[in-house]
Amino acid sequence: MKIVSGVLLVIVLLAGALWWVSDMAPAEPIEIENPRVRLVPGGAPMAGYFSITNHTDAPIRLVSAASDAFGHVMIHRTVVTDGGARMEHQDQGVLVGAGETVAFEPKGLHLMLMRAQRELEVGDAVDVVFGFEGVEPAEYRVTFTVVPVTSS
Amino acid sequence: MNLPRLGLMLAALLALAACGEEGWHGKSIEGLMPELEFRLTSETGETVTEQVFEGRPVAMYFGFTHCPDICPATLARLVAAVRRLPEPQQERLQLAFVSVDPERDGPEQLRDYTDAFSERMLGLTGTQKQLKTLTRRYRTTYGYEERREDGSYEVSHSSAIFVFDADLEPRLMLLDSLGVAEIAADLERLLQ
Repeated sequence: MKIVSGVLLVIVLLAGALWWVSDMAPAEPIEIENPRVRLVPGGAPMAGYFSITNHTDAPIRLVSAASDAFGHVMIHRTVVTDGGARMEHQDQGVLVGAGETVAFEPKGLHLMLMRAQRELEVGDAVDVVFGFEGVEPAEYRVTFTVVPVTSS
Repeated sequence: MNLPRLGLMLAALLALAACGEEGWHGKSIEGLMPELEFRLTSETGETVTEQVFEGRPVAMYFGFTHCPDICPATLARLVAAVRRLPEPQQERLQLAFVSVDPERDGPEQLRDYTDAFSERMLGLTGTQKQLKTLTRRYRTTYGYEERREDGSYEVSHSSAIFVFDADLEPRLMLLDSLGVAEIAADLERLLQ
């Protein structure tokens, strides 16, 4: 009898702990906010911006981005030094620390979306699939909104 | 020293740093560089010189259309600043986008691109020789990086906007760190 009640107690405690932990964890381990693509006319590549928050307790790495609406998507960072500007391909991806937010914003990190597969207009929705390391599921589909070229 | 006082001092220092020599937000280049002179191809396909601006002040940026991030960000800030100017000043100021990537930026591409920002923005490009002559004149450079598998490539370029007065004398370099209000203040003062 003593053993049975002991086992029961452990089960109840474990269930309680699980319930508590699951209640603490956010619904989504990764949060993407304000995803937008800045429309550029003439078939030139466009920039994609957003901010990404890692709600897990371990670092994650954004390693890839792809979209059916574009022939190729790269993760880039604009670097300005001594009055000159150039782009750096982030071939190691982008690390987002546990609980941290990384902003992809003008003149910094951005997606370079190349070769639009159809004519886009302001207000259109474009899906981008992100690939991650260090989190499950490893793929996230995010809907970006096409915004005017003059927006920030 | 107490914290609020330190904060005030820092704010004062920042304000001083933000307002450079002679009270400009940008960098004054008056007398430091030669007057504007070039031979380039315009977005209409015609060969043009600095006379295309017909004696109007010019804000000129060197970039390329396959530049998705900093070029649109800079041109958008310039156009937003121009919209804050009094109407007569807006009409006087000419905007110019010089592509240092003539291989990909033909007249039509340039026209589509500049029209997306402003109808007052003229797209220009030229041969490597013409572009080198112009960029060297203003002590700036550009260059091409290695081609990717699909043939695309990156271009490094100046991040500043060069402003010339109605006599085509260089006056200001508006660095990419300036905000819309600072650009507008400098342009308004220059155009007075």
